[in-house]
Amino acid sequence: MAFGLLKSDYGADGFRTCGVTGLKIHRSAEVPIKLFGLTAVVALIVGGIAALLVALTRWEAVGILGPPDFYKFLSLHAWNLLIFWMVFMEIAILYVGGPIVLGRRLPWSGLAKAGWGIMLGSALLIEYAILTTTPPDNQPLLTSYAPLQSSPEFYLGAILFILGAVIAALPFFWCIWQEKRENRGKTLPLVTFGAFITGIIAVEALVGGLVTYVPTYLWRIGVVAEIDAAWYRHMYWIIGHGSQQINLVAMITVWYFMTYLTAGAEVVSEKISRAAFILYLFFINMGAAHHLMADPVLSSQWKMWNTSYAVYGAVIASLIHAFAIPAGLEAGRRKRGLGGDTWFGWLRTAPWHDPGFSATVWSIVLFGFLGGITGVLMGQMQLNTLRHNTMAVPGHFHGTVAVGTTLAFMGLLYYVIKLFFNKDWVFEKLARLQPHLYAAAMSITAMAMMEAGIAYGAPRRDPVTVQIPGTDFNFAAAEPMYALLGVSAILAVLAGVIFIVVAVGSLLFGKEATVTTPVPLSLTGGDRPAHEYSMRGTMAMVLFFLLVFLLFYALDWMWLSRLWEFGT
Amino acid sequence: MGSPLESPGGIWWNRKVSGLEKSWVGLAVLTAIILFAWMIGWQQLGAQNPTGPTYSVAPENYQAQVQAYKDAATETEQGLVPAGEDVYIGARQWTWDGVPVVLEVGKEYRFHLSSYDVQHGFGLHRRDKLIEQFNLQVLPGYEWVVPITFKHPGIYDIQCNEFCGVNHRIMYGKIIVE
Repeated sequence: MAFGLLKSDYGADGFRTCGVTGLKIHRSAEVPIKLFGLTAVVALIVGGIAALLVALTRWEAVGILGPPDFYKFLSLHAWNLLIFWMVFMEIAILYVGGPIVLGRRLPWSGLAKAGWGIMLGSALLIEYAILTTTPPDNQPLLTSYAPLQSSPEFYLGAILFILGAVIAALPFFWCIWQEKRENRGKTLPLVTFGAFITGIIAVEALVGGLVTYVPTYLWRIGVVAEIDAAWYRHMYWIIGHGSQQINLVAMITVWYFMTYLTAGAEVVSEKISRAAFILYLFFINMGAAHHLMADPVLSSQWKMWNTSYAVYGAVIASLIHAFAIPAGLEAGRRKRGLGGDTWFGWLRTAPWHDPGFSATVWSIVLFGFLGGITGVLMGQMQLNTLRHNTMAVPGHFHGTVAVGTTLAFMGLLYYVIKLFFNKDWVFEKLARLQPHLYAAAMSITAMAMMEAGIAYGAPRRDPVTVQIPGTDFNFAAAEPMYALLGVSAILAVLAGVIFIVVAVGSLLFGKEATVTTPVPLSLTGGDRPAHEYSMRGTMAMVLFFLLVFLLFYALDWMWLSRLWEFGT
Repeated sequence: MGSPLESPGGIWWNRKVSGLEKSWVGLAVLTAIILFAWMIGWQQLGAQNPTGPTYSVAPENYQAQVQAYKDAATETEQGLVPAGEDVYIGARQWTWDGVPVVLEVGKEYRFHLSSYDVQHGFGLHRRDKLIEQFNLQVLPGYEWVVPITFKHPGIYDIQCNEFCGVNHRIMYGKIIVE
């Protein structure tokens, strides 16, 4: 059965033509995409189970796990969802963005499979390390902050996983190299360009990871006598935050891809959108500094320059995509005569019943409002002290990763099932409901965490904050937020279960796909270029977004100004 | 043309950009400059900044400094009253050394923060008004000196907010401001 899933009908040259996109798909690319995609879904399942246990512990009235088990499942939750689910998906996205979009073979496909094998083996080693951690070793959580030691197998697993990911990325880069050699002067398609930028940012992050974990492993096994806490933090966040920037850029590439595929979006300006990707390339890794704002050692000049990505280069990029993607949708649909000549008809008549589309749109909107706004607030040196290590931090990254990236990847997977596995969705009604339910539930989960953190200072990474042994202090005031977090997390996990049931059910029992997209991708409407169509609906929405951002910005600074005085 | 899956072809960097998109890019740049300028301005003029000199210090030397500070301070029923304007706090698994401490409202103290073992977090919470709280990182090997002036009397709870081992959850201390 498992091998059957990896098969498709290819021609004698190993290619087949996609019935929807018209893309030429080669077996050497398609098989690894399926392998990486399926593995990512397994990590999503493991991480999702851990998520439920973690949430039901933070909902202290339920308090399902004691402290040692809480940290164990928190570590499993972090590594499976923030790393394994994401990185396996991202390698698949590189292969889609490179060989599939370019209509090429994936060169060195043996390396792709070797990379997959190493990543899978090392992921299992990390799971094993987490499950078998006993004192004096500590659970790594995501950060494994030295000098608090974790088990040697954990560091070794992390090193091998990084190596595996680099190996798996090499065929993608070689594919781009071949394309550029054979077609000199021909511009890469935007999705390929986005994937290429993702790949470069990924390798930067992964090299940072080796710089971190190799010396840390040597320290753990006794080869190196001491490890400096400030050095570790500085190095670790190259991969700690860098890996999340891979998610961001991969997600934005998926946004361009999916809005086009499901709703007929066009690129309104190649120049502006590509410039935004290049801003990411230059500046986004500086975001690693966001984690060091409340640290000693670093000067305020270092902090402000780095945390701002050199005067907000990466924020400008994100704001550009925040306009360009909905504008592409608006102009593309107006061009095709969809939705009439009104402000928002193009959006109202969009295929909201299509889970590929709804997942993508919720990902865009909620990433911006939940993850984006809080990220910029936390990234300001002074405001960071209000949120650092409180529940507001997981609130932020559930806004970016759990709502934004995860939804985008789910939307993509709905189409991977159709276009690559050639299967129709089973339980179609559930599939259509799923992105809406997940978006709503996970948004409330994230907002409950944000509120618990910012309004009550409730700590993250702490299973007991209401009846704390040894002190008469408590965070009982945050209990309504904990309850909200618990209930909404149950619903979000339920939405995740629906996704898994639909995805796995479709793969096993789905009928052969009768593939159509909700909109005609070939142009039926006007022949004017996209940038000449109205984008007023998009402009209204992004202005509203900016207004909301400024409101929260002002609120945060107001609270900070009321605080006791500190610093030089 | 217009598809993100196709090469744009031709001299695409000369193609016209919609007026609205250009205005938005302008707004984005303006936002970026305001955000940066505000942060720098607050660092110069504002009263809340996570900044202060850092010194390298071996954990055992720092522990000796904290002991000397405690010896010089006056012990009262509520806690230590520091002899001068320096307040030393040492973090270790899973207690705070040098607390409880009794301080005066409106007086600037130099808080010295460091750890004897692993990384910890100095989360400070005003008990009667939980929205008033902040968080600083505490690292072994580094002594961070951060001036703090309390505006209101009351109990301020110190809570370790960096995971520091399995008993992390019980690591609390207290500052009394009168």
